[in-house]
Amino acid sequence: MEVKFQAWDTAGKPIRCKAAMARKAGEPLVMEEVEVAPPKAWEVRIKILCTSLCHSDVTFWKTPAGPASFFPRIFGHEAAGVVESVGENVEEVKGGDLVLPIFQRNCGECRDCKSEKGNACSKFPVQFYEGMPRDGTSRFTDMNGEIVHHFFGVSSFAEYTVVDISQVVKMSLEIPIDKACLLSCGVTTGVGAACKFAQVEEGSVVAIFGLGAVGLAVAEGARLCKASRIIGVDLNPEKFEIGKKFGITDFVNPTSCGEKSVSQVIQEMTDGGADYCFECIGLASIMADAFNSSRQGGGKTVVLGVEMHGSPLSINAYEILRGRTVMGCLFGGLKPKSDISSFAKMYLDHELNLDGFITHEVSFKDINQAFDLLLQGKSLRCIIWMDNISNGK
Amino acid sequence: MNAEKVEFSRTAGKPIRCRAAVAREAGEPLVIEEVIVAPPKSREVRIKIICTSLCFSDITFWRLKVPPACFPRILGHEAVGVVESVAEDVHELAPGDTVLPIFLPDCAECMDCQSNKSNLCSKFPFHVASMMPRDGTSRFTDLKGETLFHFIYTSSFSEYTVVDVASVTKIDPAIPPNRACLLSCGVSTGVGAALRTANVESGSTVAIFGLGAIGLAVAEGARIAGAKRIIGVDINPDKREIGKKFGLTDFVDSRSCGNKSISQVITDMTDGGADYCFECVGLASLVHEAYACCRKGWGKTVVVGVDKPGSQLTFNSYEVLHMGKTLVGSLYGGLKPKTDVPMLIKKYLDKELELDKFVTHEVNFEEINRAFELLLQGKSLRCVIWMDK
Repeated sequence: MEVKFQAWDTAGKPIRCKAAMARKAGEPLVMEEVEVAPPKAWEVRIKILCTSLCHSDVTFWKTPAGPASFFPRIFGHEAAGVVESVGENVEEVKGGDLVLPIFQRNCGECRDCKSEKGNACSKFPVQFYEGMPRDGTSRFTDMNGEIVHHFFGVSSFAEYTVVDISQVVKMSLEIPIDKACLLSCGVTTGVGAACKFAQVEEGSVVAIFGLGAVGLAVAEGARLCKASRIIGVDLNPEKFEIGKKFGITDFVNPTSCGEKSVSQVIQEMTDGGADYCFECIGLASIMADAFNSSRQGGGKTVVLGVEMHGSPLSINAYEILRGRTVMGCLFGGLKPKSDISSFAKMYLDHELNLDGFITHEVSFKDINQAFDLLLQGKSLRCIIWMDNISNGK
Repeated sequence: MNAEKVEFSRTAGKPIRCRAAVAREAGEPLVIEEVIVAPPKSREVRIKIICTSLCFSDITFWRLKVPPACFPRILGHEAVGVVESVAEDVHELAPGDTVLPIFLPDCAECMDCQSNKSNLCSKFPFHVASMMPRDGTSRFTDLKGETLFHFIYTSSFSEYTVVDVASVTKIDPAIPPNRACLLSCGVSTGVGAALRTANVESGSTVAIFGLGAIGLAVAEGARIAGAKRIIGVDINPDKREIGKKFGLTDFVDSRSCGNKSISQVITDMTDGGADYCFECVGLASLVHEAYACCRKGWGKTVVVGVDKPGSQLTFNSYEVLHMGKTLVGSLYGGLKPKTDVPMLIKKYLDKELELDKFVTHEVNFEEINRAFELLLQGKSLRCVIWMDK
């Protein structure tokens, strides 16, 4: 598909556009006009084409106080867009390029970006990403001139946003933009976690706690890695049928385990525990369940969920001594700039199923419906289309 | 037939009356007394212990007053001996063989023993056992006929012990006994943790919390792997000098960190954290420190030390997710007794693995309580206890 441009004379000037504003924790977003400053050095201003809702948006939207809580804020971190203009020193992308803004930084220069191990870019100080990474300031102001906070350096619930070049990935392959949008967080996180981070081997037994988009993406990744059994754990029994499309072979509903704990059930059904357990919800108690469901002598537990309440993970020291591993990663352990293109290729080669993740579509003005659907457990990914953009041919 | 084998042919099939150091009450000195050691039953062997050494895990379960501690018990699990007799159905071992009794079972047949991912036998799952594995009974009685408990399938504080074949590894007798015994627990655990569990690469930075025999064995493993920096952390400042013999490049006295936490000190001195951190004491608080100062992105923290049962490790969930670190634990350094101990012995005989520096004291069996004192006072690494001298 092609995105048709009007001749842009907006470069270098602030842009006034619509944004879905989160003014108070947990309250519906309000459509307002905001002013988006031009990109500074090393920054890119992006016209968002479509975006999707990820539960991490919900987690921080609900957080009323504490070091991670900032309001008013523009949420959204899963999106696809087109470069409107670039700041000084940006040579990687130019006006008109199709790009994904990614919450995971990848400067390409620091020791971590250069190492083959890990994906935790260390160029900028760690922070909750409420401003731009290099100077901590915001590019958004509301109509009263008040600062509006960024989210994870992406803020895609706006018609235009400004993102640091270390968080911009150029999409060189032509894939439909709603599928491209999925690759900017959830699906890549899950598939990457299985295939690249945990390196699930052929024949392994995998258990996945939480069958939202991330959990199902882990299943998809485990399927690609030829796991022999992919056990899904979810409170919603409908997730079994849905999960089968993504490779789920067995299902456990924690409320139907009777007197036994979930980990006991999984230990029994796997003759000692799963080789790989993935936590894809964000609850420390479930991370512990996942750990206790892993096999001694080699079982690996991978934490992908963003803990919703700040609760700590508690595990028994003797159980870890028995040859178990606990790991966690963001973005599936992948480096955005080098790894996303291989996923795009896998989609085009019909190896990676992305279509199955999109269960709903709404227009930008109805963005709150996306929140409702996710909170009610009715959706996987709901694509939010900006005005005048569609997936037409 | 040598003299020893002649002697063995006289005792085979009969109970043996010999000396043992019995732990009768938690934390009380062991009592050297005569005990009766029954002949081996199906798939068991009876071993004449040559020498044994004290490991802190013996102390942990000696002074613990609740299960899995139990009394009266014959402790000891690091030892070397000679097979005195075998059950009829044992063909892989014969009287006269030099062997190590090893607390971590290795049946060599189950799926886990056959896999190269695990060293945890599923036929005889590891736990702090008090009886023989197959029939759950004891081979020891005291002179009043009271049953004495075994300790993790080994019980080496006795002139003779009975051990299941899954807990026996045959070794090359060329290695001196007061070096061989070290490989049945402590040194193998530390060296294995570095080489097998962590797979330390050449050029790495390693931090080791706790410089007892285990921690120093980790240092030995890291040295063999070619680590560039080996940082030792201990509350005992004497360990700085001792550690140099084991290849330590840096030492942190954990009581002299001032306002900083140990993990902050290490993070600062390594410009972001060590590639590998090993906890070799058995304290949850130290595991947390070790985890905090392994490098984000690829750092690995290895839990080696055995804490009290029920100990919980607590981590900030956000950090587990964000930092990209790995936490892993292992028993016996992730090694498989029957295949890996011969490999370590070869490394010792080839002068690649150094064992002499671990033995700081040697006593006779009668003085076994002195070994406890020395270890509790932090004065020894390994004290070898000779049965006959």
